[in-house]
Amino acid sequence: MSGDRAAGPLLSVRDVHRRFGSGPTAVQALRDVSFDVGTGSMVAVVGRSGSGKTTLLNVVGGLDSPDTGTVVVDGTEVTALDDDGLAGLRRRTVAYVFQTFGLIPVLSAAENVGVPLRLARVPVREREQRVARLLDLVGLAEHARQRPDELSGGQQQRVAIARALAASPKLLIADEPTGQLDAETGLAVMALLRGVVEAENVAVLVSTHDPVMMALADRVLRMHDGQIHEQEAP
Amino acid sequence: MTRRLRARPPAIHWPSVRGRARADAGPLLLVAAVVAVVTLLAGATPPLIRATADDAVRDAVRSAGPDAEVVATARFDYDDGVDGRVRNPGLREDVEDFRNRVDDALDPRLRAVLRRPVSVVSGPTFDVTDGSLLRTFQFTYLADERGAHSATQVTWIAGHEPRAAVPPEDAAISVPYQAPPWPVQVGLSEADAAALRVRPGDRIKLKDKNYRAKNVQVSGIFRANDSTDPTWRLAPGLLRPRSGADGVGNTRLGGLLSPESLPDARLAVESDELDRYVHFEANPDAISAGTARDVAAILVTLRATSTGSGSATAGDFSPRWQSQLDGVLGAVQIRINAATAQASVLLVGVLAGAVLVLLLAAALLARRRAQALTAARQRGAGLTDLGAELLLESTAVALTAAAAGLALARVAGPGISWRWAVPVVLAAAVAGPAFGVLRAARATRDRRVPANRSARLHLRRTGQIRRAAVEFAALLTAAGAMVALHQRGILPTPAASAGALAPWSDADDTAALASSAPALGVLVGALVLLRLLPPALRLALRRALRSRRPMAVFGTAQAAATSARALPLLVMVSATALATFALALGVTAERGLADAAWRTVGADVRLDAGQSEEVDVPALARRIAAAPGVRQAVAAQILDTARLTDGSGIIRPRLVVVDAAAYRELLASLPLPDAPALAGLAPTAPGAVPALVWSENGALRPGMRLELPRKDAPAVALTAVGTAPPVGDTRDVVIVDAAALTAAGVPVVPDTIWVTGPGAARATTGIAGVETVVRTEVLRERRTAPLTAGLLRLAWLSAATLAALGLLGLALGAAASAPQRWQTLGRLRTLGLRLRDGRWVAAGELLPAVLVAAAGGPLLGLLLALLTFDSLALRTLVGGDSDPAVAVPWWGAGLLAAGLVAAVAVVVWAESVLRRRRGLSELLRVGG
Ligand SMILES: Nc1ncnc2c1ncn2[C@@H]1O[C@H](COP(=O)(O)OP(=O)(O)OP(=O)(O)O)[C@@H](O)[C@H]1O
Ligand SMILES: [Mg+2]
Repeated sequence: MSGDRAAGPLLSVRDVHRRFGSGPTAVQALRDVSFDVGTGSMVAVVGRSGSGKTTLLNVVGGLDSPDTGTVVVDGTEVTALDDDGLAGLRRRTVAYVFQTFGLIPVLSAAENVGVPLRLARVPVREREQRVARLLDLVGLAEHARQRPDELSGGQQQRVAIARALAASPKLLIADEPTGQLDAETGLAVMALLRGVVEAENVAVLVSTHDPVMMALADRVLRMHDGQIHEQEAP
Repeated sequence: MTRRLRARPPAIHWPSVRGRARADAGPLLLVAAVVAVVTLLAGATPPLIRATADDAVRDAVRSAGPDAEVVATARFDYDDGVDGRVRNPGLREDVEDFRNRVDDALDPRLRAVLRRPVSVVSGPTFDVTDGSLLRTFQFTYLADERGAHSATQVTWIAGHEPRAAVPPEDAAISVPYQAPPWPVQVGLSEADAAALRVRPGDRIKLKDKNYRAKNVQVSGIFRANDSTDPTWRLAPGLLRPRSGADGVGNTRLGGLLSPESLPDARLAVESDELDRYVHFEANPDAISAGTARDVAAILVTLRATSTGSGSATAGDFSPRWQSQLDGVLGAVQIRINAATAQASVLLVGVLAGAVLVLLLAAALLARRRAQALTAARQRGAGLTDLGAELLLESTAVALTAAAAGLALARVAGPGISWRWAVPVVLAAAVAGPAFGVLRAARATRDRRVPANRSARLHLRRTGQIRRAAVEFAALLTAAGAMVALHQRGILPTPAASAGALAPWSDADDTAALASSAPALGVLVGALVLLRLLPPALRLALRRALRSRRPMAVFGTAQAAATSARALPLLVMVSATALATFALALGVTAERGLADAAWRTVGADVRLDAGQSEEVDVPALARRIAAAPGVRQAVAAQILDTARLTDGSGIIRPRLVVVDAAAYRELLASLPLPDAPALAGLAPTAPGAVPALVWSENGALRPGMRLELPRKDAPAVALTAVGTAPPVGDTRDVVIVDAAALTAAGVPVVPDTIWVTGPGAARATTGIAGVETVVRTEVLRERRTAPLTAGLLRLAWLSAATLAALGLLGLALGAAASAPQRWQTLGRLRTLGLRLRDGRWVAAGELLPAVLVAAAGGPLLGLLLALLTFDSLALRTLVGGDSDPAVAVPWWGAGLLAAGLVAAVAVVVWAESVLRRRRGLSELLRVGG
């Protein structure tokens, strides 16, 4: 249902405004943001704390809705979807990776990776195969049966990435995925994301503070005060 | 940190205190509400029980009748002269003097609860020799401070008041020992005169036990000015013939003596045959639970110090004291003690539930404030400062709420007691600061989970050992309490109860432990369930993972992840268990009351014709049986004054003479124990009359041979052929068939009718000459009796409060885990979970613990009821001799369980409504 839409960019953000609060304390978190992301590319969003990165990623993924402007992902206008539509979008097209990993503590690594497949009611056999392949991809085949609290932070984030990839999304949104990791581990995770772009043919939109991470991206969107300040190739 | 070592008063940052209070006004109000409600209940109950104790004492004294009297007896002085007995014209003064002496000898505290004394002088019972009927006669002199009854309490409607048998100049005449029977004048009531067919001037044909004729003359016929005056009871048969007073088939009649005829009465009988008494009737309105204790003690010493034989031959004329009043007061004391103890058990349950809920609320509050507290710490506030601030707030809330609760209690009841409110106020005041300081300390101490695996293991071990130690301590305490309860029962030990009639006055140490037994037992049961839940959920999760329904997996996973949270489950299980326990107590008492009423009345309605001979009982029974709506009407003669001998001694059972077949049929149709053995009572060949026997202590056993002695006739032999059903509230029963007894030559005069059927009450209203005892009225009367009604109300109130606390526990527990739950749900939603499916996951997270509480709580409560009701002396509550069997509160327990499960739906719905307005991004950002 997506191949024929390759004509346009995978993600297209147009004139998005997002304002929090009202009156003198109002915060203009996003102002007039427009950009496109094509399939198979990794785009880094950078900027100071409070510049609007998280707000932007949330609006793109449909976790938050903009005051004005449109977001189109894979031909679907995210900003026009209702609750169920958004759920469907997240099940098939968009996936997230969070700073805090967000794994279910009582489930094993493999079970955590299988969660989106369960939601999509993928048959057991197929699910198990896909989970095994993804754990292999993130280098955790050995740790499939371990639970999150038995894994290191980096390992947990890799499980989270595998989980995000489980349902074969087209767009992966990662909000500071390395924020809780030390530099070395963070770099490894970033490298994994970079690899995933090729291996799974997804677009990755990732926010980060770290200049080293930016080097891995195809493009960098620099945010300042809610605006995309400059776009540059690395 | 070392800075802190220097002592300084904690610095209170008022803006923080105000800000926190404002931000968390909701939870604080909730805590206040819990404290206020529980304080109201705990503060009002003890004074209420105390007040009802007074009522119970009065009721007991009122209904004790003759047992509540205090009687002093002393023989008359010798009247022997030189060559015979000397007439003593001053006998009236003698009697009066004796009354005054006895009255003066009374302890003022005892006198304060007694009515004015009545003097009684009575002769032996003579046999009336005018006909075939067994009749006896006794003359009596009655006088109180108003004077002799013959002068002040009656109107002479024929003849005159009895006069002296000799002219005044012979007042002190000497009478030879061998003289013919000395004449004495008596007055008769109209009924007695009619029964004896005598008129003024006639002689009553009498002989004494040695078959010597007596010279008793009727001087006049009187009518009592007030026949309901209780003093007439002191001379049975005086106002009207009374049957059964001297054994089976016997009727007693009486003659009234006057001050003038009293000296003649003395000469008319042997010198030691005239008894004089002083009767004090207890005044129920003057006794309270507090004074009863002294009264009982005084009576015991009074009786103990007057052990004189009172026999004239031994030269002992000092008064001898008799009274059952201390026994009556002792019995009501047991009931008050039992009610107090039962109330304690219920209150301890409510307090336990409330304390747990307050702990849960405090934990929730601390969690909500974690950020603010951490921030305050970082600003430089010391832990002592924070603790002081929190303590200030919680103490203010707790004290204000407690004051409000106590004020309400004062309005609602006769007084307040703050002692029971202490644990709740303490919990409310201390738990919040403790949890808050702990959280603040943990946040700043930066104690992360150690990375080192063995260190982590060590930490977990330590935690496990600590928890096991706490559980073991709880188990030991509960076991100790249970043993204490079983060994000593709920009633105070004799040593402690010796002087303690006022409730909660001198409770002994083990009493507190014993009355906590059910609550402690419930707590231990809840701890066990708490232990079982996590492994059970892990098992469930393993199964769910194999299922194809994603919601089942996520719900169970969430439940398993949060199953270690102890307090919510502890609160829910304990509160539902204790609520079920209270319900079981109430239902058991109600059932026991109903059963006891059946047993007391013996049918839907019982008619007691009693002493009146005016009613033809068999005819009345036939007439009632024919009335619409009456299923059966069975007539019987019930004799509580019967004396049987069993060869070795005298037994005084309740003798029931009834048509055995009809009685058997009656019992079979009622919720009373059936008695097929009644079939064996049919009259057989001449010889021993078959009887059924029953006694609580085994004094009467089947196979025994008994004898029913009769006056002027050989005793009737009875053989106990089987076990009798209990008849009424009595210890010993002997049942014989009416026809069989008649065949043995004993006249049967039925005096009781048992009536059953829906129309029984209507068919028996307005029948003159009989006392009607309606079962439903007996039941209502007992149910509304002070102590019983109070305790039943407390049971229902406790159950309701605990049910509310259980629901509150669910709500608070859900509120505490809500941020995490909805954050996880938010994450699952980013993975494609729909919001409405998310609700199922949320419900799935909450349900396991709730289901455990909904099923385990009631079962635990019932288990504790089965384990402890035997020791709670519930018989004192229902008015029977034996403890009622535990009744299961099906409805209540079912409602409790259903309520909890329904509450989950409400909680999930409310949570999702509250969070729907907030975007998913916000849920993930702040997690709540
Ligand atoms: N729900 C909200 N309510 C009010 N203000 C908000 C909300 N979400 C974000 N903001 C504000 O919008 C601005 C942008 O926030 P955002 O979280 O997008 O920044 P960020 O670039 O992700 O920062 P960081 O690097 O610290 O994560 C901030 O000033 C923030 O305070
Ligand atoms: Mg951010």
